[in-house]
Amino acid sequence: MNAIEVKNLQRVYRAHIGVIKRSIKEVMAVEDISFEIKSGELFGLLGPNGAGKTTTVKMLATLLIPTKGTATILGYDVVKDANEVRKHIGFIFGGERGLYWRLSGIDNLRYFASLYSVEPEVSKKRIPYLLEMVGLKDRGNERVEGYSRGMKQRLHVARTLLHDPEILFLDEPTIGLDPVGARDFRLVIRNLQSEQKTILLTTHYMFEADSLCQRVAVIDKGIIVALDSPSELKKHVADLSVIEIETFGTSDEIVERLRALSFVDSLHIEEQDQRQMLLIQTARGAEAVPDVMNSLNGTRVGRVIVREPTLEDAYVRLVGGHV
Amino acid sequence: MNFRNIFRYWRTMLTVAEVTLRHQLNDSFILFAILVQPLIIAVLALFMLKDTAANAAMFVVVGSGLTGLWSSLLFISGNSINAERWQGTLESLVGVPTPFDVIVFGKNLANVVQSLLSMIVAYLLAALFFGYSLHMDQPLLFFLSLFLSVFAFISFGLVIAPIFVMYREVQQWQNAMEYPVYILAGFLFPVLLLPGWTTPISYILPPYWAAVALHGTSTASAPLEQTLFAWAMMVLLSIIFLFIASRLFKIMLYKARVDATLDVQ
Repeated sequence: MNAIEVKNLQRVYRAHIGVIKRSIKEVMAVEDISFEIKSGELFGLLGPNGAGKTTTVKMLATLLIPTKGTATILGYDVVKDANEVRKHIGFIFGGERGLYWRLSGIDNLRYFASLYSVEPEVSKKRIPYLLEMVGLKDRGNERVEGYSRGMKQRLHVARTLLHDPEILFLDEPTIGLDPVGARDFRLVIRNLQSEQKTILLTTHYMFEADSLCQRVAVIDKGIIVALDSPSELKKHVADLSVIEIETFGTSDEIVERLRALSFVDSLHIEEQDQRQMLLIQTARGAEAVPDVMNSLNGTRVGRVIVREPTLEDAYVRLVGGHV
Repeated sequence: MNFRNIFRYWRTMLTVAEVTLRHQLNDSFILFAILVQPLIIAVLALFMLKDTAANAAMFVVVGSGLTGLWSSLLFISGNSINAERWQGTLESLVGVPTPFDVIVFGKNLANVVQSLLSMIVAYLLAALFFGYSLHMDQPLLFFLSLFLSVFAFISFGLVIAPIFVMYREVQQWQNAMEYPVYILAGFLFPVLLLPGWTTPISYILPPYWAAVALHGTSTASAPLEQTLFAWAMMVLLSIIFLFIASRLFKIMLYKARVDATLDVQ
């Protein structure tokens, strides 16, 4: 049975610009997407910034009205039956906002339990259980303003689970967390998965989607460019190898020269301080390294690795290397 | 709406009010609006009324309390939805099954109740520092009037908040709306002193009828008919404002979901 059904969903944002001569600017955030999520499935939505992930989640969470198309949650329409949908869903949007910082963690939970109409005798038992589950048992009485970012994220999870919803929308929940915090958070998601919750997870982190999601939709410029299991998506790049080259001070001219090489399928650059990591996808594998090194022409080079492609490489290829 | 839902929403509203009170305890602006400003007004008025009868002091105590109520309503309740938006909690409130007007009602209840503190502080100031021997002429009727006034103020606040969200140009006049209501509602002197054309404006303001009932029962031994009429007007205006507010909230929330303004972009 499908818990979520999305058909030809579209969302256009309209912004008024100009002071004297006012005009309306339209931005197509989601152009036309359709997918279904089975009950109990952990479904990933991947895409670069501005691809339409958060907009999609907000439409499903009844917080935005779609411009076109329909979406149903457990058979309820997200526009016409918004109130019924809200009883069955929980949502987290990445970041620290959305909590009352001058209240304690427990007061935040008590407040939201009341808004979800959780009976007081139920919330009295559920709040300590959830605080323990997210590792905040000993900090529940402290004000949220003193929490770390990871603690706030975990409190968001507890808030989302107060009314024990069947469906969860987690929009980039690990963004900004340190590696240990992110790992702990992924454990929480796994626990939720084992409780047969239906989860829609959006993330930038491929290994997160790879290790957690049963199916993944790759969204780019408001449309779904691929939808499959992580292992099937990796087959998109099965014929390729990835050359990782650490460089210092690569110019735009050199990048363009590399992109122009006939055997380069795609080139993605990860910048970190003075360092650039060039990720070149090619069918020639290690044989391509000498030609690539020639093209780098005097650029200071660190380590060079040739490896098998990952889900991230499949994703880079699907969205055309512009992440 | 069945009885079970009404009970559930009532309970939610009380929890919202309680948590809002706790949340606002450390906000210095709120303390200024409900304590410091009414206190300054009370001190000024009490100095002006020095050596006059004690019931004039009682008029000031009630009047300065009402100024605190109105300021709290205008600034705290009026900004309550926008404040939620800026702190990123508005989406979480809209995304719950509880109707949004129930939540805002609870928040307004907290604001109005906490601003009653200004009346208590003004009372203590007049009694302890100015040495007035204060007594209430009709204490039972006064407290019943106070109960209805709280309800009338909340209903009025429920209309103001969505208007401020939908029409930013109206909110720009927020500061300018504070003192005219002090005057038009007769908080610190009778509206009979104002030109006749202002009277219809006073009549449609719930704070005016609150002032009539509270001043009448605390200082003037007003005839029962006058108090009962003020109560009836408060109930009538509350029902009208609640109806308008419920329509406004529906329009505001739908518009916010279309325009994507539930969160700060």
